[in-house]
Amino acid sequence: MTADGAGAATADGAPEPRRAGYLQLMRAVLYREYLVFVRYPANAVGGVVVALFFFGLLFYGGRMVAGRALTDSIEGIIVGYFLWTLSVGAYSSISNDIGSEVQWGTLERHVMTPFGFAPVALAKGVAKLVRTFLTSAFILAVMLVMTGTTLSLHLLTVVPIAALTVVSVLGLGFAAGGITVLYKRVGNWLNLLQFGFIVLISAPALDLGWARLLPLAHGSALLQRSMVGGTRLWEFSVLDLALLVGVAAGYLAGGYLVFQAATRRARRLGVLGDY
Amino acid sequence: MTAGESVVGTGESTAAADTTASGAGDAEPGLVVDGLRKTFGSGPDTVTAVDGVSLTVDRGSVVGVLGPNGAGKTTLIKSILGMVYPDEGEVRIDGVDARESPRSAYAGVDAMLEGARNDYWRLTVRENLRYFATISGVAPDSVAARHDRLLDRLGLAEKADVAVRDLSRGMKQKVSLASVLAGGATVVFLDEPTLGLDVESSRTLQRELRRLVAEEDLTVVLSSHDMDVVETVCDRVVIMSEGRIVADDSVDALLRTDDSHRLELTSPAFDDGLLGALAERDGVVGTASLDRGGRIELRADSEELYALMAALDDRGVALETVRSVERDLEDAFVDITGTGGPEP
Repeated sequence: MTADGAGAATADGAPEPRRAGYLQLMRAVLYREYLVFVRYPANAVGGVVVALFFFGLLFYGGRMVAGRALTDSIEGIIVGYFLWTLSVGAYSSISNDIGSEVQWGTLERHVMTPFGFAPVALAKGVAKLVRTFLTSAFILAVMLVMTGTTLSLHLLTVVPIAALTVVSVLGLGFAAGGITVLYKRVGNWLNLLQFGFIVLISAPALDLGWARLLPLAHGSALLQRSMVGGTRLWEFSVLDLALLVGVAAGYLAGGYLVFQAATRRARRLGVLGDY
Repeated sequence: MTAGESVVGTGESTAAADTTASGAGDAEPGLVVDGLRKTFGSGPDTVTAVDGVSLTVDRGSVVGVLGPNGAGKTTLIKSILGMVYPDEGEVRIDGVDARESPRSAYAGVDAMLEGARNDYWRLTVRENLRYFATISGVAPDSVAARHDRLLDRLGLAEKADVAVRDLSRGMKQKVSLASVLAGGATVVFLDEPTLGLDVESSRTLQRELRRLVAEEDLTVVLSSHDMDVVETVCDRVVIMSEGRIVADDSVDALLRTDDSHRLELTSPAFDDGLLGALAERDGVVGTASLDRGGRIELRADSEELYALMAALDDRGVALETVRSVERDLEDAFVDITGTGGPEP
């Protein structure tokens, strides 16, 4: 086989199959996500409608109860809600996806892949994250129109900060996915953790130094500063950005290791793919 | 033994048959399993699911794995595939040690473990083939022609752009098979590939599978409770019981054992008392009461046959029917495992 396969052929004259790289793996996983999204939009639309319904309750209900106090802090609430919808999507993507793959009988084929199970699961998580970004962006736009609020939406600042912030949650999702492989029907319990994200997203308000090491907390603070205060990416201190990257990398690596350990244990116990 | 078979056996009682009779030559076998053992639990609750199984499957051959429920078939297959970590033993696929280099070893392996739900029903047939080719590490564009050939071969060409969920059960099963072969796998595991299919669909799939094996030089390990499938598709059968291989031979050899020629005799005079007495005689392998009289089955080549006939004559027993019984794989399975029949 040549490096790119060009010109090579099998004995029967058919072109020699070429190896797929990680780029092609990512493209295949993203394309599948896109196909499912455009062909069966009901799930995605349902999620958007539910998210907007609860935001509507929060906004209109809160305005009736708290009046001006809520209106004054609406920008922060919108940024927090946007980040929460992103986080929920990132977190649940891997564990829910693995649960579905087990039911469909497709999990085993992802385990045997020459890419390795964990890299494929990561690619699928990233694909779900891209989709979640699109739906959360739509939710953000509707929230801004609904409340008549304006925010600073400098893409070169908002996208990297939001992405790095939810990568830490992706790490938690990875760990949850590993636990799902081991213990199967724990998805609903793990989904309860999503409500803990509300606390983490509001952690900057607690002004606790160590809270910055928690997932979401530091990124949430930076996102508030950029979207509400208009701070640009290059205006943040190196320490802030390093902490953002470090927390993201730390939780992703930790989650990845938990996932690996859990799947190894599932193989020892013989429960991988059981449902 | 037929061409393409080789050494097989359990740990202690390796039925170390001959090495390859012909065909494979010096080629590395498609699959080598050596001393595989897997236990679950610990202490007094330990269950030995696979007990020192060794098995070699040559390239281009199809081996059927049979056994009653709990015999260890699934654990064996999952251990070979790396989905269960064995306690002991080695697995080599196309000469590559699966424990040392799992990614390389499994690069040419795929499996159809769950019948029809082996692919994404929301995607079209062709999209599934492209996706799973990529997951198998092969650029889908480079095997597009192969996909067309596979779809054509399996009668799916006209359904290539139809979502799998909209296909019949038989079609779904074929899509599963096609997607397993989409990445050019050379070693394929098929668990109940015809489960739930009607007779016609099952026969079509068996025929196409056999043809694909020949054309693509596939190494196939197949598990099925359907004896017709095993007889039609497999070159060789491995029967497992209590975690061990208790029989391993070609389908032909299993069907043509020394006692494979049998006669079935019926008579209205075979009452329960007489059937009980006959059951004690050598050569009689089975008795049954009928609405009118009874039936006995005996080895046709046994010396006892003549003595029995003389004894029946002495008693004045008139036979109603005498017919030759063709022994099938299910009979062989029942004899070997002592169970009522194979289970998936």
